[in-house]
Amino acid sequence: MRTLLRWGLPGLVVAGCVGYLIVTASGASAEYYVTVSELQSHPTTGDVRVAGVVQDGVERSGLHVTFTEKDGTASMPVDYTGTLPDIFKPGITVVVEGTMGADGVFHARTLLAKCPSRFSTQPYTS
Amino acid sequence: MILGYFGAGALLAGVVLGGFSACLAFWAGWRDAPVLTQIARRAFYAAAAMTLLAGVVLEVALITHDFSLVYVVEHTDLSTPMALVAAGFYGGQEGSLLYWTLILGLLGSASLVTSARLGGRVAAYATGILASILTFFLFVLAVVASPFDLLTVTPPDGLGLNPVLRDGGMLIHPPVVLAGFASFAVPFAFACASLLARRADAAWITHTRRFALLAWTLQSAGLLLGMWWAYHVLGWGGYWGWDPVENVALMPWLATTAYLHSSQVQERRGRLGTWNLGLVMVAFLLVVFGTFIVRSGIVPSVHTFAVSAIGPWFLGFLAACIAFSAALLAVRSGAKPDTSVRPAPLASRESAFVLQNLLLIGVAAVVFWGTVLPLVTGMLGGERVVGAPYYERAAGPLFAALLALLAVGPLLPWRHPNRSTVRALRWPAAAAVLTFLALLVAEVRSPAALIAFPCAAAAAATALSEYGRALVRKPQVLVRNRRRYGAYLAHLGLVVVVAGVAASHFGQQERDVTLQPGQSATVAGYTLTYSGGWQRALTDHVEYVAAVRFGDQTLEPSRATYATLGGQALTHVAISTTPVADVYVVLAATNDDGSAVFRIFVNPLVAWIWAGGVVIILGVVLGNVGEAGPVPELARRRITATLPA
Repeated sequence: MRTLLRWGLPGLVVAGCVGYLIVTASGASAEYYVTVSELQSHPTTGDVRVAGVVQDGVERSGLHVTFTEKDGTASMPVDYTGTLPDIFKPGITVVVEGTMGADGVFHARTLLAKCPSRFSTQPYTS
Repeated sequence: MILGYFGAGALLAGVVLGGFSACLAFWAGWRDAPVLTQIARRAFYAAAAMTLLAGVVLEVALITHDFSLVYVVEHTDLSTPMALVAAGFYGGQEGSLLYWTLILGLLGSASLVTSARLGGRVAAYATGILASILTFFLFVLAVVASPFDLLTVTPPDGLGLNPVLRDGGMLIHPPVVLAGFASFAVPFAFACASLLARRADAAWITHTRRFALLAWTLQSAGLLLGMWWAYHVLGWGGYWGWDPVENVALMPWLATTAYLHSSQVQERRGRLGTWNLGLVMVAFLLVVFGTFIVRSGIVPSVHTFAVSAIGPWFLGFLAACIAFSAALLAVRSGAKPDTSVRPAPLASRESAFVLQNLLLIGVAAVVFWGTVLPLVTGMLGGERVVGAPYYERAAGPLFAALLALLAVGPLLPWRHPNRSTVRALRWPAAAAVLTFLALLVAEVRSPAALIAFPCAAAAAATALSEYGRALVRKPQVLVRNRRRYGAYLAHLGLVVVVAGVAASHFGQQERDVTLQPGQSATVAGYTLTYSGGWQRALTDHVEYVAAVRFGDQTLEPSRATYATLGGQALTHVAISTTPVADVYVVLAATNDDGSAVFRIFVNPLVAWIWAGGVVIILGVVLGNVGEAGPVPELARRRITATLPA
């Protein structure tokens, strides 16, 4: 019993602290990860990450880029300033993180190329 | 073509030999039959040899450009430099699994050779567990994800390695980190075996600890090289992104770091035996979990491996490993604690180690939750993800507590603290206060920085004061008690890493600038001038190089385009490193009017991270090399010299 108290009590205290940190931190900074159509059916004003495919008609000027991101049915315009991933081009899937503006344009803070072929090239087909 | 059949045959032979070894070894352990153990061990060596053969075959196929193999076609082409063609071995899913299995076979064999001398049932069970793991990997390689699959039509050229991987880092980072992952299986096998055989002799503890140290060292080097590579290649000015791939490499490292500390308590005071075995087992379970997460593509990650059929297999393997470990700990850990040892006082070295363990596991829990959150919330509907802010908020306070403990813990005695303990604490306390005041004078107001830097200074003062005390009193203890002083060196290295991380985290400055040739930009007091750009053609790509003058150096950030890969681009950053700060230049875009867009970062003290990391590894290696080896298990030893390993 005494050993249990000796080791269990500090363990519980630390576990409690860790649990508290996890809950508060994930509550404060977890973002929804959605597709374009999910975002349009449940609009939010907070930060979200949106996955979709880049459509033709990317406009660049310096570091500023605007393009249309689309999944199966829905599409939305995206506005981003910053360095683009090397593989960025129409047809790839990107994940943008940011907020949906009142103007209907998604203002991305970060842009990641989500490419299943990061470590391997496209499967060979012929 | 023939190589494909040869390799597949070697893998199948490995599965059969490994399976045979596993069954026989468990039987031998059950019956305590040294002769059968010996046969099982040799079958394991044979299975490892088959894996080696398969590895050699794949490497030969790569080097000779045998495009009848799907793997060779998908990961190399004729224009790739030969060193990178050879590195294609671990550049893809199947090959990296084979490499992993190969390391498991070789390290497993080495551990069994050295354990054979120690005799007993532990060696038999360890052989069985290692052989089971090896057989699982060989089975997946032979049946589910074979690197020896053939194409019906042999193409004239391959698709080539992804440009991101066409870099010198490819030659060092993946082999080290994959070897690190594979090596966690060895301490796991010996921990489980000693529970199965109900033996926890000092010899086995030493043996397990030795291989845990090896795994830790490989994993540390792998993490450090990964950070270095990400920083130099990815072009986003960072060395750590809290991506699932990084997280799953960090978690087993944290568990093993905890083990290396708490195993001291077991050696000195005969406590925490079960906890230590648990840590070693958790480290391996985290490795399997990580492999499953990364290879199955179930959590969103920037660097996903090609999604393949091995996910379910690894999930099954993970479930089996967890069930086995949990059952083993539940059934066999009922050993009564040694009541002859008096409980340690609250403020003692032992308590410090316990607290450090709890904090490290706490950090691992934070990382684990962040990694699986998309999975858990996805099942509940409404997938949610966390980024760097989550990890900073949740793990930051734990890291701060660890740093503070790093300053106090080593000064606490194993027994009751006395007046000299309090006196020894004056150095870290003074260092912390002075650093805090210096930061206030320098107008640093970030609470996190005001905590991190003083704690780091205190930890450094503790390690330095211990060195000073040893040098004044008895310099020879530095060598005789080398594990302790090696640990202080590692602690000093950690402080240097913390300083680098904190400075680059709180002090990074970045600016995007568009410059015409001849124009200059200033970032954080550093002035850079764009002098012009040109095209350069290399064997497998064309690159546009921009020359940027910085002081008397010329930095050359560039953008490469790979024509053979559908025009895929790759950015090469240019970095000017000094001990004070890195000037990090990314060529973001080029415009038609001749101007170029640069993103310029000034990252303070990044060089300290690499230097400190090397010091940590050096400290641990120097502290543990040349220690007395494990003493053979004398009791129960029936057959000794007649059966060489």
